[in-house]
Amino acid sequence: MPPNATDVFEVVKRTTLEVLPELPPDAVTPDGNLTDLGANSIDRADIVAIAMEELAITVPVGEFQAVHDIGSLVAVLQKHV
Amino acid sequence: MIEPSDTAVQPAAAAPRVGIEALNAYCGVASIPVPALFAGRGLDPARIDNLMMRERSVGLPCEDPVSNAVNAARPLLDALPAGELARVELLVTSTESGIDYSKSVASYVHEYLGLSRNCRLVEVKQACYAATAATQLAAGYLASAASPGAKALVIATDVSLVDERAEYAEPAMGHGAVALLLSAQPRVLTLDLGAFGAYSYETLDSARPAPTFDIADADRSLFTYLDCFSNSFRDYATRVEGADFATTFDYLAMHTPFGGMVRAAHRKLTREFARDRFHAVDEDFQRRVAPALVYPTAVGNLCSGSVYLALASVIESADPAAVAAGARVGLYSYGSGCSSEFFSGLIDGESARALGELRIAEHLSARVELGFDEYAGLLDENKRCLVPERDRDAAAGLCRPILDRYPIERDLLVYTGTKAYHRQYEWLPLNPR
Repeated sequence: MPPNATDVFEVVKRTTLEVLPELPPDAVTPDGNLTDLGANSIDRADIVAIAMEELAITVPVGEFQAVHDIGSLVAVLQKHV
Repeated sequence: MIEPSDTAVQPAAAAPRVGIEALNAYCGVASIPVPALFAGRGLDPARIDNLMMRERSVGLPCEDPVSNAVNAARPLLDALPAGELARVELLVTSTESGIDYSKSVASYVHEYLGLSRNCRLVEVKQACYAATAATQLAAGYLASAASPGAKALVIATDVSLVDERAEYAEPAMGHGAVALLLSAQPRVLTLDLGAFGAYSYETLDSARPAPTFDIADADRSLFTYLDCFSNSFRDYATRVEGADFATTFDYLAMHTPFGGMVRAAHRKLTREFARDRFHAVDEDFQRRVAPALVYPTAVGNLCSGSVYLALASVIESADPAAVAAGARVGLYSYGSGCSSEFFSGLIDGESARALGELRIAEHLSARVELGFDEYAGLLDENKRCLVPERDRDAAAGLCRPILDRYPIERDLLVYTGTKAYHRQYEWLPLNPR
């Protein structure tokens, strides 16, 4: 069965905690955003790259323009699983 | 003649050795420490670590892409034995800092380098990638032996247009030029002919739509840089049997918009192609990548010359014994818009001897260190550099006090002004004995 939105969120959450290990797990929520959680541009690129690898998807760069928080990131990734 | 230590990359049978015979980087005569620039602009100092930049070169109003190119190439050509200057049969300038919609920077550079009239001259443009395109095309020409004994001169040259509007990009921008003399007598880098991977597509991540400013989407640019790195390496691996990101290359020299981006790219590719070694990624970065960052983090983004400044940095900053024993360097060139190439070549002790003649590190140390106010005072005049003006005098009054503080002896070509759209230059001896 293809991953649903909750599964994709779990991948993003796990990846975020891997890249920012000092974050408490419940800090990662769909309405939060990575920058506020302390991710710099390279951390954000890491998080997205690892999440795409785990989900075995590729998303064209342009689609990330619309991403403004974790929820919208999950939505963009989910479109491609 | 060095033997490749790794059988994964073998030159095509009977193909001549071609590559970089000589390399020089001209990184300006002035610089500003990055913390001073951060303080002057009120930028958040917590972001300096991510940037991984220590200082950057600053251009003067008497400089432009022509003078930078000539100042990089002149020492290379002066060192050539008599008669060899005439064998430079191709001059290519690679620039995002064009001075005319038709007339190339190369046409002026040709004049001030005293090249033969039987030399082809042309300019190429594709953001920070173009010099690599020119180098690979020239290498193919040289390897074809269509003109045996020919040399090609590829010069990546640019000027910075950033000011406070560029925010965190301002401290990372460089100024200057890198000159590559290519031939079938490579001393600095012997190219692995046929070992390359290319990856390009259309995207607007950064650009220079006008002669006075750049536009950049930092996140998109980081993304495309990383995307192209993965995919150009993938393409390389389809051509080179057994190519292994972790073991084929003793060093990695990458286009360096800022040091932090190179670190991110190394991490990404390690994760993607050498996952089992990711636990040791920091140690691998220190050993194989950090030597390539020593010069770029002291100069700033040199656009299409950046990857070659990184190569020079490897040769002069890596463990001399390791270089002398022969080493393979993986090089990654990326240009916004976007276009990229991953390729490789061999260096050894001769590379270090050849580069040592140009005294790059000594010239970097000789740059006059500017305070923030002196730096900011240059920007308005510097921003006129590429603006078409029929008649103009370069602001010599701003340049003189800085040039007078330059501590070592050298000749510098300077831009003195424009008359009826014709750019004017003269040679200035600095700190003459």
